[in-house]
This record gives sequence, structure tokens and C-alpha cells, in this order.
Amino acid sequence: MSFREINSKMVEATVAPGRGLFSQRGAMLAYRGEVSFTPNVQGGQGGLMSMLGRRVAGEATPLMSVAGSGTVLFGHGGHHVHVIALTGDTLHVEADRLLAFEDTLRQGTVFLGAQGGVMGLVRGQATGQGLFTTALQGHGSAAVMAHGGVFELPVAPGRPVHVDPQAYVAHRGDLRNRLSSALGWRDMVGRGSGEAFQLELSGSGTVFVQASEEKL
Amino acid sequence: MFRLQGSKVLAVEMTGDAVKAKNGSMVAYDGRMAFKKLTGGGEGLRGMVARRLTGEQMTVMEVRGQGTCWFADRASEINLVTLRGDRLHVEASNLLVTDAGLRTGTTFTGLRGAARGNGLFTTTVEGHGQAALLSDGPAVVLRVSPRYPLTVDPGAYIAHQGEVRQSFQSGVTFRTFLGEGGGEAFQIRFEGDGLVYVQPSERNTIAGDL
Repeated sequence: MSFREINSKMVEATVAPGRGLFSQRGAMLAYRGEVSFTPNVQGGQGGLMSMLGRRVAGEATPLMSVAGSGTVLFGHGGHHVHVIALTGDTLHVEADRLLAFEDTLRQGTVFLGAQGGVMGLVRGQATGQGLFTTALQGHGSAAVMAHGGVFELPVAPGRPVHVDPQAYVAHRGDLRNRLSSALGWRDMVGRGSGEAFQLELSGSGTVFVQASEEKL
Repeated sequence: MFRLQGSKVLAVEMTGDAVKAKNGSMVAYDGRMAFKKLTGGGEGLRGMVARRLTGEQMTVMEVRGQGTCWFADRASEINLVTLRGDRLHVEASNLLVTDAGLRTGTTFTGLRGAARGNGLFTTTVEGHGQAALLSDGPAVVLRVSPRYPLTVDPGAYIAHQGEVRQSFQSGVTFRTFLGEGGGEAFQIRFEGDGLVYVQPSERNTIAGDL
């Protein structure tokens, strides 16, 4: 794994020739060695079409590619950083929560409408996630930001987990998500419990949840 | 059953029973849960009227179900307090979750409350069970005994339990009016026998500005 957690809010990444990284632009704190940072106009991997896809999707967080040989410290906004190692599975995460990831991971954009049709779109809007999320796939690790600490909840078949949409950070594995609403007449008359919408994740995998209801 | 997961997340295991929690503080759950806003928060109609009048509107929801429910609020630190028949006084905004077996109410604190920046009333929790308190940074528990009274900054105070009398103490001198105050114009003094919870951070209070 090329990421090492220095403390809860900082990670150290090792870059070597042929082992580069992508990181959110401006997230570098310090580096050692011969490391170059080039703004990535395309906003990530893939060709021109992927770039257009991200632009259209609004998932085009300014990225930079980090190459050379040395170590780099990353951190951003005093947010907690959580390193997730992928071994062939897929991580779904919001682009603006992605601090850095290895370039061995394939980056793609997922249209939420592809999962659950119109309800997928409604879900994206209601949760503030927008209509698209970023998917990372392959072998390598990614550093994800969250407000407050991150904890992992395993999801097994027959044991779905419900998450507050504002506290949802990322998920991995083969999970379906669905917006479940507990809207009742109480919410209509302004006496809601503040938990009207929940993301229901079912399947098998892991959900990452932050200890706060604040979006980044 | 209350269990801390890290210092900022509280996991509550439930088997058909209920807990009272701050509105909107659920971050995740498995199993089946139902969320209901409680009318008023205090007991009965009188409690509701009291809360409306006092403005100590701890918007509370009742969480009932089977499974595990995780609570967190704005990445604040969480402290567990076990009550065995005694009474806990706490600022409503610092109360995250209480067992169903605990009663909550409102008491008048007078001028102290105003200086604390939280209004004139605080919440009381009584009975047998566990309560989870929020603090900005890890809280310390300070012992008050008859021989050793304790003085606390109103902005750093979160809660107290036991047989403790509180009095309001002011360090206002003519210098304060000249704008030369030390920023510690008001304090709360605790005497008696009990525990006081203090956070390593100060809310904005009138006292802090002087």
C-alpha cells in the first residue's frame, strides 16, 4: 500500500517511477525527493470521452497527477482522512471526498439513474450527491476525506444497513442503494424526527459512515 | 446497551426497546428502526408547556426497534454517563441520547443560564440508565467535594451530577467596563459533593466577551 496514515488527518504517499498518484489539486502539504505535480486537465484517467463525461456529470473535481520518486504528504481542510485498500473490488465515492488515489485504480463515473431509474435520480437530488458518483476499481488504495472519524459497517445479504444520506461517505463491494423514506404525516406538519430520508444499502460489502451530518 | 465506537460515534443495541435521541443525530442503523419526534420532550402536557415557555427546546426523537443504531453529531466527542437514581443537569444542546428508563425535565437556572449563553433553563435527567453527552473536544470529569469547591467557565461547562449547589460568581470590576477585562468576567462555582463535566472549548457567552 503506498499510503501511510501519519495521523488521523494526514497521509503520506510514496511515489516511484511507474507508480504515480492522482490527488485533489492543492491537497499537497509537503514532499521529499523529486516529485512533480501536473494539473490534470482531463480530471483523471481515460481519454477525451471520459473527460467529457466527468464534465457533464459535474464530477470533475480538479485533480493533479503526482509523479517522480519520493514521499508526499496530503491533507485538506482539517478533514479526517481514511485509507481504503482495494483488491479488485469497486469503491463508490463522491469526487469531492476523494483526496488521492493510486493510478493503478481505474476511475469511472457512475450514473445514479442506472440504479433504480427515476428513483435513482430522486435519490441523488435528495441526498445532495447529484446525479453521478465516482467509481474506483482495481488493485490499489485511495484516501477518502470525511468530517469526523470514519467507521465501517459491513453489509451482508439479508442484513441491510440504513445510513443518513448526509453521513454517508462511500461504499465498496456489490451493494445496491435505495432511498427509503419514512415520510409520514408528521413530517408534513413540521413535526418530523429529522430522519425522513435514509439510504438503504443491501447486498454484500462495506459502507463507510462519518461521525457527522455535515457535508464537506 | 450503549457502546462507544471510537470517541465520536455511539452504537446502541436495541431489542425492541426505545431510546430518546437528539433530532437528526442518527447516522446509520441495521435491523428495523422507527423514528418519532416526541411532543415537547418533557413528561406529559406540563412538560410540553414548560418547554415551550422556557425555550429549552431539546428537539428529541424516540428511536424504537431491533438492531444496532449509530448516533453522532457534528463530529463532537461523546461521553457516557451512568445514572443510578441520581440526577444529571445538562445543557440541552449537549445531550445526545438517553435510555428510555430516564426521565427528562427542565429546571430554572436564573442568571447563570443567561451568562452561559444557553438561556435561563437547563435539562435534567433522572432515573436509572445511561446517557450520552456531547462535548467539543474530550471532556474531563472534575470532582467537587465539600472541602474542594470548583469554579468553572460558563462556556466550558457541560453537565453536573450529584448533590451540588451552583452559584454565580462575577469578577466584573471597573476594568471590565474600561474594556480591560481578562475575558473571565463570570464563573459558576460548584459546592457540595458531585461531579462536573467540563469541555476543553468555550461556547460564545456574554461572559467571554467581557
